[in-house]
Amino acid sequence: MSSVAPIAPVPVAPTTARPAAVARRRLRRGHVARRIGINLLGLAVFTVMIFPVYWMVATAFKPGRNIQDYKPHWFPAPATLSNFTNAVHRPYFWTDVKNSLIIVSFVVVLSLTVAFLAALALSRFRFYGRTAFIFLILGTLMVPLAALIIPLYITLSRVHLINTLTGVIAMYMTFVLPFSVWTLQGFMRGVPRELEEAAMVDGSTRFGAFVRILLPLVAPGLVATSIFAFIQAWNEFIIAYVFLHDGSKQTITVWLASFTNLHGTDWGPLMAGATLTALPVVVFFVLIQRRIAFGLTAGAVRG
Amino acid sequence: MAAIQLVHVSKEYGGGALAVNDLNLEIAEGEFVVLVGPSGCGKTTALRMVAGLEEITDGEIRIGDRVVNDLAPRDRDIAMVFQNYALYPHKTVYENLVFGLRMRKVPKEERRRRVEEIARILGLEDMLQRRPAQLSGGQRQRVAMGRAIVREPQAFLMDEPLSNLDAKLRVQMRAEIARIQQTLAVTTLYVTHDQVEAMTMGHRVAVMRGGVLQQVDTPQRLYDSPGNLFVASFVGSPAMNLLEVVLERDGGTLVCRVGDTDLELPADTVGRRPALERFVGRHIAVGIRPEALSEAGEDPDAPRLRGRVLLVEALGAESLAHVEVTGTPLDRPELVDVAASQTHLLPVGERTATLLARLEHDTGVRPGHIVDLAVDTRRLHFFDLESGVAIAAAAAPVTAAAVG
Ligand SMILES: Nc1ncnc2c1ncn2[C@@H]1O[C@H](COP(=O)(O)OP(=O)(O)OP(=O)(O)O)[C@@H](O)[C@H]1O
Ligand SMILES: [Mg+2]
Repeated sequence: MSSVAPIAPVPVAPTTARPAAVARRRLRRGHVARRIGINLLGLAVFTVMIFPVYWMVATAFKPGRNIQDYKPHWFPAPATLSNFTNAVHRPYFWTDVKNSLIIVSFVVVLSLTVAFLAALALSRFRFYGRTAFIFLILGTLMVPLAALIIPLYITLSRVHLINTLTGVIAMYMTFVLPFSVWTLQGFMRGVPRELEEAAMVDGSTRFGAFVRILLPLVAPGLVATSIFAFIQAWNEFIIAYVFLHDGSKQTITVWLASFTNLHGTDWGPLMAGATLTALPVVVFFVLIQRRIAFGLTAGAVRG
Repeated sequence: MAAIQLVHVSKEYGGGALAVNDLNLEIAEGEFVVLVGPSGCGKTTALRMVAGLEEITDGEIRIGDRVVNDLAPRDRDIAMVFQNYALYPHKTVYENLVFGLRMRKVPKEERRRRVEEIARILGLEDMLQRRPAQLSGGQRQRVAMGRAIVREPQAFLMDEPLSNLDAKLRVQMRAEIARIQQTLAVTTLYVTHDQVEAMTMGHRVAVMRGGVLQQVDTPQRLYDSPGNLFVASFVGSPAMNLLEVVLERDGGTLVCRVGDTDLELPADTVGRRPALERFVGRHIAVGIRPEALSEAGEDPDAPRLRGRVLLVEALGAESLAHVEVTGTPLDRPELVDVAASQTHLLPVGERTATLLARLEHDTGVRPGHIVDLAVDTRRLHFFDLESGVAIAAAAAPVTAAAVG
């Protein structure tokens, strides 16, 4: 070791550093102004985004006469819960909630499992037809769903799956799965292959390396994908509306549509129902929110 | 510990080209062999085939007395250090180190004991609870080493483990790895493209080029008697000077004509290379190590080359002079490979060649001077221009009689 004189940190006396301090303060003032500007802008965007949601929730608590008043009532005062009791006591509410939950659970679990394996194949193995497969996935995502409803209806009716939850689950998979595969394989590409190879040399099987090393590292991808799948399946309307005929087999979105009939729209209960419908999405999101935050740092750590 | 044997091993990635072409290499038990060569020559591929991460197109690989061609990496009982370390980013240092032991079902108490011992040896005790992102490059490198050592495997495979470190740390870790390997006496195959690393660390060095093994030998013998032009130019820093010369007979002796200067070859040099006779009147390549050139003294009969000094690099213990002489520099494809991986290559003119000479540190030579360089003709290397193969001494290595 060569001996180099240690460079001690020289304490800077505040008196001698006045010009620097002034400059720094000026700099900081500019900095603060910019941050305030950015925050104001963010707040404006937030207001625009949140207003419809607020209006929905507020309306749900207003008594009927205040809803269609010509003078808008900004706050639900006086507030009432009658819209909620009305909505919940309509026929099929609980049945349709159950239907939606069943469909969503299957779609999320199935699409995540299948997509993980498919993304694994795409990002880690080379095989014949790999490129074609990728194009197929992208192509599927590009076709508008409405264009597919009639052919899909015919197909499903041939296998007697019209008016069944199984049929709708299968339908949802057709657009949730390609998206999930695509997203997940993107996340997987970001994880260096050497990590799994190191695990394999360390005594893991190939599949073990996927589970022990790759899976935790693509957790953010799994979370993002599952949120997407959940929201898509929970909010889907057209397919459920076309493919499910009985009131007892409908999903919650179709149930909501029943508030509009020949006599007009029953706004209070509809908004109450819509608020209730949005709840599971919020709950699901908050539940895995923590996982996202964790996942993002884990991804950044890669090295 | 176990020996590793590669027998006629080839690898084709598809597309017809062979990334590794008929590689034969044996690493004895406890031996440290360094695989070196320019970028893209197939070093990593060879290593990965031994690890089982890459399928073998042709040939056979043995570890100990088992043929491992079709064995999964986990069943080969080897440990590998990757170029980018490949530490598990979501695990702490402790978990990184213990992972391999857990996979191998080592009892819990023993796992803890071994990890703690390795952490102590490598100075990682205070970092066991950190994640890889919270470590410096050198610390990550040590964790990667630790992960291999703690397993106590049959063999170590290392793929350029030092290439991500800064120069000083690299030198330090170089010594450390060599020391650890010596203490543990584990069979080691080490890949690098840095010939200095290869020469300083390996018991033996295997030089590769374009998927083909060029020469395997101890560092000293590689340096003293390179088997072909590629090895000659690749091994040694600064690199060997290579010139195209004409071999002529002058009375009873042979001379090399460099430009318009004749260098007389000593009788014993010629005597031990009977093959030289076949090249009389033809062009051959001659190699002169920089240390075989010095400032010429008074003796007018000593073989010498006159040239103009372009540049003098003072390195402290010595000075490197770049001297332009009349002569033909060698221009061959294998030397281009070397140029890509080495720094010392100045542009050369048509009929002038730039020679590097290792001079005394207190040399008075300055740029612009005309100097006479004495050539130690007993330390010349000769190569067939067509094949690039050395025209080697029949018996002892060239320098055996020459040094002194
Ligand atoms: N997965 C692959 N598919 C196709 N060709 C490959 C693959 N991996 C390596 N090659 C080719 O094989 C040859 C040898 O590559 P290799 O990685 O073994 O070189 P290397 O000696 O380790 O080089 P470096 O010093 O740059 O790491 C190169 O020409 C490379 O392009
Ligand atoms: Mg390599």
